[in-house]
Amino acid sequence: MIRLENVSKVYPTSARPALDDVSVEVERGEFAFLIGPSGSGKSTLLRLLIREDVPSSGTVWVANWNVGGLAGRRVPRLRQRMGCVFQDFRLLPNKTVAENVAFALEVIGKPRHTIRTVVPEVLDLVDLAGKAERMPSELSGGEAQRVAIARAFVNRPLVLLADEPTGNLDPETSAGIMTLLERINRTGTTVLMATHDRQIVDSMRRRVVELSAGRLARDDARGVYGVAR
Amino acid sequence: MMFVWREAFAGLRRNLTMSIAMVITTAISLGLLGAGLLAVRTIDRTEDLYYSLIAVQVALDEPTSADDRDCSSPVCTGLRGELEASPLVASVEYESRDDAFARFQRIYAGQSILQLVRPQSLPATLRVTMADPLRGEEIVTQYTGRPGVRNVVDQRSTVADLFSFLGSVRNATFGLAVVQALAALLLISNTIQLSAFTRRTEVGIMRLVGATRWYTQVPFLIEAVVTGVVGAVLATGGLVLGKVFFLDGLMSGRLLANTIPPIGMSDVLGYVGPVLVVVGAVIATATGYVTLRLYVRT
Repeated sequence: MIRLENVSKVYPTSARPALDDVSVEVERGEFAFLIGPSGSGKSTLLRLLIREDVPSSGTVWVANWNVGGLAGRRVPRLRQRMGCVFQDFRLLPNKTVAENVAFALEVIGKPRHTIRTVVPEVLDLVDLAGKAERMPSELSGGEAQRVAIARAFVNRPLVLLADEPTGNLDPETSAGIMTLLERINRTGTTVLMATHDRQIVDSMRRRVVELSAGRLARDDARGVYGVAR
Repeated sequence: MMFVWREAFAGLRRNLTMSIAMVITTAISLGLLGAGLLAVRTIDRTEDLYYSLIAVQVALDEPTSADDRDCSSPVCTGLRGELEASPLVASVEYESRDDAFARFQRIYAGQSILQLVRPQSLPATLRVTMADPLRGEEIVTQYTGRPGVRNVVDQRSTVADLFSFLGSVRNATFGLAVVQALAALLLISNTIQLSAFTRRTEVGIMRLVGATRWYTQVPFLIEAVVTGVVGAVLATGGLVLGKVFFLDGLMSGRLLANTIPPIGMSDVLGYVGPVLVVVGAVIATATGYVTLRLYVRT
């Protein structure tokens, strides 16, 4: 589902490459953690996957798309099949919970009757059925992240990318988010989650891909966060 | 598509003062453009009006004019035949000295100049109506100095002053319209940039969930087009008011009453209004598109 072949990324302002000859593959339906300290290249890798950036060399594959070589006008098609969740939720503050989720469907031109049926279903999936008309400012961090996940999942993406989704949440709330991501993973969606959260990685016992200074440091099928850290 | 319209109007409301400035500037520039178009139309009509009336006058000299009631003298017949044979000429009419005097009496009825003029002081004339009124000068050069001819006058040169006045009114209006249009373009461009900047988070999220660039940018274009169209409608309204309260009074006044054909309401609403709406929409769209291409990279 996701395949990186000898991918390097050099930013013009930095001497050291952000990614240095990384090759890794994530199968369809897999759940993988992407770990490593700040500046190790996790975010860069995610940015390459959604074509926010193009690799300096090497090839990035998502499903059957050669992401780096994709023409600009085809990028929306790629992103419509991917969901993204971020540490800072990125909800639209002037729209209700339901509108935020509906937004992802509206911008790709889904008909209104589809939106009306799909949005409540997804809000139900993330246990927010009762808060559809709330504004983001009225939500707790955990609830906000659930809305973000609902929005990322509402198009039934092939891949869900999560960039430190629990970074701003307490451990208990984080656990709830992880349960939700697992639930989504069980529907067949490939999940790749970048994280610093040792406790989560250790408790989940899923695949762990570790980056260190832009290089692939470790790739364990059922890994833990690491002993030295 | 509802979504796109909602976004566009939200954008216009958000920068309300800027939107108003944008609409006013656009309206003024389009109004000037409209005034220019009306001036052109009036000039064309005035020209048509005058060209149907004016002629080249070939005045005959004293011996030829004397006692010839119907152009029967050999010199007059010769000139007339030659003029009628010319492809430049539509028709030739002879006005004898007595006819000229009668017309003179009619025009200046009751004025003291009448006492000073006798039939003998007026020449007999061949009034030449041109097939192409613009080529009267050729008749003037051909016939000036010919035997029996006193002088040749192209009446067009007498009304040329009027046309050149109307022409400069038109040019000045268009000049102002261009300057104003430039200001309107810059304002529209600036407002779109501002609008795009305030909505960059929103647009970023839209792009993230797979919205096309086109979809994220259409609201900005609609903002621009709405501005252009509203501006055009206001400009047309302004022209209507200008016509009713200013031009109509001026045109019916003593000086201009029968000199310049009046501008009708249908000229404003049926011709200039639609033109302004189209021009406003097209220019606003083009400005918006170029701005988005050049300055808005999200």
